[in-house]
Amino acid sequence: MRSLQEVLQDWEAVIGLEVHTELTTLETKMFCNCKLSHDDEPNTNVCPVCLGMPGALPVPNKKAIQSIVMAGLATNCQIQKHSMFYRKHYFYPDMAKNFQTTQGPVAFCMYGHLDLEVSGEGASERPDGVETGTDTVAAHDVAAPVTVRKAEDGSYTVPIRILRIHMEEDAAKMVHVGGEEGRIADATESLIDYNRCGTPLIELVTEPDLRTPEEARLFMEKLQQTFRTLGISDCSLESGSMRCDGNVSLRRRGTRELGTKTELKNINSFKSLHDGLEYEIRRQAEVLEEGGIIYQETRHWEPSRKRTVVMRVKETADDYRLFPDPDLAPFDLSDEFIDDCRARIPELPDAKRDRYIASYGLKRADAAQIAGDPVTAGFFEEAADGVDARVVPTIANVMVNLVPAFDALTPAQVRSISTLLASDAITFAQAREVLEAVNGTQDDPERVVDERGMRQVTDTGALEPIVDEVLDRCQDQVQQYHDGNKKVVGYLVGQCMKASKGKGNPKLFNQLLRQKLEA
Amino acid sequence: MANFDQLSAAQIAAGVRAGDFSATEVARASLDAVDAREPQVQAFLEVSADLALKAAERTDQARARGEELGPLAGVPCAFKDNMHLVGTHTTCASRMLENYESTFTATCVQRMLDAGATPIGKANMDEFAFGSSTESSAFHRTNNPWDTTRVPGGSSGGSAAAVASGEVTVSLGSDTGGSIRQPASLCGVVGMKPTYGAVSRYGVVAFGSSLDQVGPFGRRVEDVALAMNALVSPGRDPFDSTSQDCPIDFLEHLEDPIAGKRVGIVPQLMEVQGLTDEVRDAVNGAARALEDQGAQVVEVDLPNIASAISAYYVIAPCEAFSNLARFDGVRYGYQEQGCATLAEQTSLSRAHGFGEEAKRRQMLGAYLLSSGVYDTYYYPAQQVRTLITQDYERAYEKCDVILMPAAPRTAFKFGELSDPTQMYASDMFTISNNIVGNGGVSVPLGLGRDSGLPVSAQLQGPAFRDRMLLQFARSIERAYDASGIVAPDFAGKGGDLA
Repeated sequence: MRSLQEVLQDWEAVIGLEVHTELTTLETKMFCNCKLSHDDEPNTNVCPVCLGMPGALPVPNKKAIQSIVMAGLATNCQIQKHSMFYRKHYFYPDMAKNFQTTQGPVAFCMYGHLDLEVSGEGASERPDGVETGTDTVAAHDVAAPVTVRKAEDGSYTVPIRILRIHMEEDAAKMVHVGGEEGRIADATESLIDYNRCGTPLIELVTEPDLRTPEEARLFMEKLQQTFRTLGISDCSLESGSMRCDGNVSLRRRGTRELGTKTELKNINSFKSLHDGLEYEIRRQAEVLEEGGIIYQETRHWEPSRKRTVVMRVKETADDYRLFPDPDLAPFDLSDEFIDDCRARIPELPDAKRDRYIASYGLKRADAAQIAGDPVTAGFFEEAADGVDARVVPTIANVMVNLVPAFDALTPAQVRSISTLLASDAITFAQAREVLEAVNGTQDDPERVVDERGMRQVTDTGALEPIVDEVLDRCQDQVQQYHDGNKKVVGYLVGQCMKASKGKGNPKLFNQLLRQKLEA
Repeated sequence: MANFDQLSAAQIAAGVRAGDFSATEVARASLDAVDAREPQVQAFLEVSADLALKAAERTDQARARGEELGPLAGVPCAFKDNMHLVGTHTTCASRMLENYESTFTATCVQRMLDAGATPIGKANMDEFAFGSSTESSAFHRTNNPWDTTRVPGGSSGGSAAAVASGEVTVSLGSDTGGSIRQPASLCGVVGMKPTYGAVSRYGVVAFGSSLDQVGPFGRRVEDVALAMNALVSPGRDPFDSTSQDCPIDFLEHLEDPIAGKRVGIVPQLMEVQGLTDEVRDAVNGAARALEDQGAQVVEVDLPNIASAISAYYVIAPCEAFSNLARFDGVRYGYQEQGCATLAEQTSLSRAHGFGEEAKRRQMLGAYLLSSGVYDTYYYPAQQVRTLITQDYERAYEKCDVILMPAAPRTAFKFGELSDPTQMYASDMFTISNNIVGNGGVSVPLGLGRDSGLPVSAQLQGPAFRDRMLLQFARSIERAYDASGIVAPDFAGKGGDLA
């Protein structure tokens, strides 16, 4: 198979995602008062309603409706005041009623979009000038193309339209025992856990506006950040509280007609999403280039073998016999309810990133990384609270580069270590050592630095004699420097550090050495 | 002392309260009457003697402790077998649920018990409430107490027959297209379908969720009013999101005169094909009786009413298909053994667990909801629903209630209506009220001139004006001196209060 980049020079990949998110932060299920939990013994959080026993009736969970409206507002959707639940029929033991309560043509949230910023290596996946769906994100019925232009550094921004976000209930969890990779085909037994049955689920469907696996990965990442910030779900791809199916087809670059799509399943990490789509794009290109046909089918991503295999072929559209659920009255959301949902939305990652850049002067990448995760952002803001503005970028740097290696640091410790780093009192390597010492304690890093005598000498008067001694001693290296090998300064800094028993500030040594060598 | 079947619900409750007799004695009398009358009537699928005696004992103990007793204290009550009552099976008269034990108690049943009623048993019905004769019960037929060679009507035929034969004082049925009002008419008792949402559906096995409504049977309007009070108290049921507050005291104004009120008659309905002369004449007689009491009779028009039955037989099967999809033999219910695949097990469990009519309606619903067909039938049926609702709204600008037959004819012979569409026509006068969700009550007018069998009038009213319906029904009951009549072949058979 040809590489992704080669394939994408000739072919345009058209990708759409369907993302299911369990509203894990709610206390109860969608239509009954059973506890929501992933960890309890199987079939313990069940009642006549979620078991679909005859005579039981659903009562909608208002907080779930609140969550989906928040999700819609945060993704620029139009909130539909009037919508209703429908019944989608299929016979399968994971759905006790043999119909799933979901939404019909009108979902709570319609026609939104998220803007993706694609930069770095991932941006190179998209060849220049590839069109996406439309030039106006609001016009979902218009297929007018928009050309994405890359900036000089290769980065670009592209709007990805969201068709809808609807509310539904999750099915029970089926565990197929005795077969390979937990698949039903060769299982000897199938077990059902109804604890999950009736879990509030929101399904987001994008328009087919994504063009590269990297864009798909970034979209999912951004969605995860957004939903986590809203506090509506833990959004774990690994545990399945966020699940994603990818639809992908290819068409020759410059043509408009859509090719036959395949649906990709078993995606439980961002890497799987990227790699699965990449494989599928390359596979489809190979089939098409050899004159073959793509069948509309569902394919299972096997991460261990890095390939997709056919799960089932869709010959005809399933007939789910959708009709309005007569047990649930149509919704008529009030302006007050929607306003209340809007008021509950905290600062979202993009706004937070922009604020960090504007108020603290953070690097865009650092700002985006910290703002993307609500826990990290909260930690950062606590650490930065009341700190000299010049120290804050250092805090961000520490947050991005040091903190992830530790599990139990406090914002105060990060503030302290960052203050020391910003004043050049310690080196980055020393900071790591100090954090190791204080991790899991309430100890102040500054005290550890003092106890261990780590504080660096930043008085140039005290460092100058050392520099002079080293330059005197290392004549060969001085000659090399003058011959054009400027890198030799590193060696000389090392000698200075050694001579100062590690207490001299390497940055200052570097500065002094260069001054003297150039003099 | 008298036979318990001569007492009204209020008299039983008052007697228990006063200590004239105990709830246990009434329960024993009712169970005794069931023993004596049931071989000919066969109204019950399950007699819950233990539950009845325990409930009665609790009532007697409460009285002994000096506690205030409920308004239905000691009143023997039967429940249609699509209502859950813990300690009983809930079979819906289907092989599919032959061994199904209630896992919780339906709100409507619980409210009757909370008011002090004694649960005598579960009443026979058409399978899953599909029918108008109780003949589609998978277990046995129920005989009309007025002529045991005839059907009691349906689908709540057991509930109607148990009251008509005097086995119990009141009973509950469910009405999706006439399943309370039509059997009440055929059995000569009062039967009320309240406005949709007035009574909780929680715990009642659904047939047509947007049409189903639970209501009481009694031999007196007053008994029905007393049961209605229990069913709507204390307010809407949080477990049924379609239920509504119905803060009405149904006993209040029950005896008030109806002078000055307007009774609507729909002329086209009185000429409809299939309506027998004796029923038409009896209903016209009821109109005159109301006129004699000072009511004004006015003609009103329901121009789209003829389409009601067509709309109903689209909407009801669609909802039935969906509601009955859960019966697949996987978790409970009839399960075909020895199947190789899940699909085979599901198919055969359903093929053998459901009766003919249940399968017919589900197949009809599956077809009507399928893609391409949905737009042709389901959607227009809902439009018809809106039109009929508007018809009624306009009619109620001219009148307070509408008077019409409850059923086109008196009780028919077993097997007489073998063509399903003939059977469906039994509900021609009742269905429109389910389509629009309004309340209706059937009230006996004595025996038919030609058949000698019970004939009833039906009163329909605007949404949540159900109390006024009972007030009109009481006026008719007074005029016909039709209060408290037990089918003569069974009156006094067993059931004496010691």
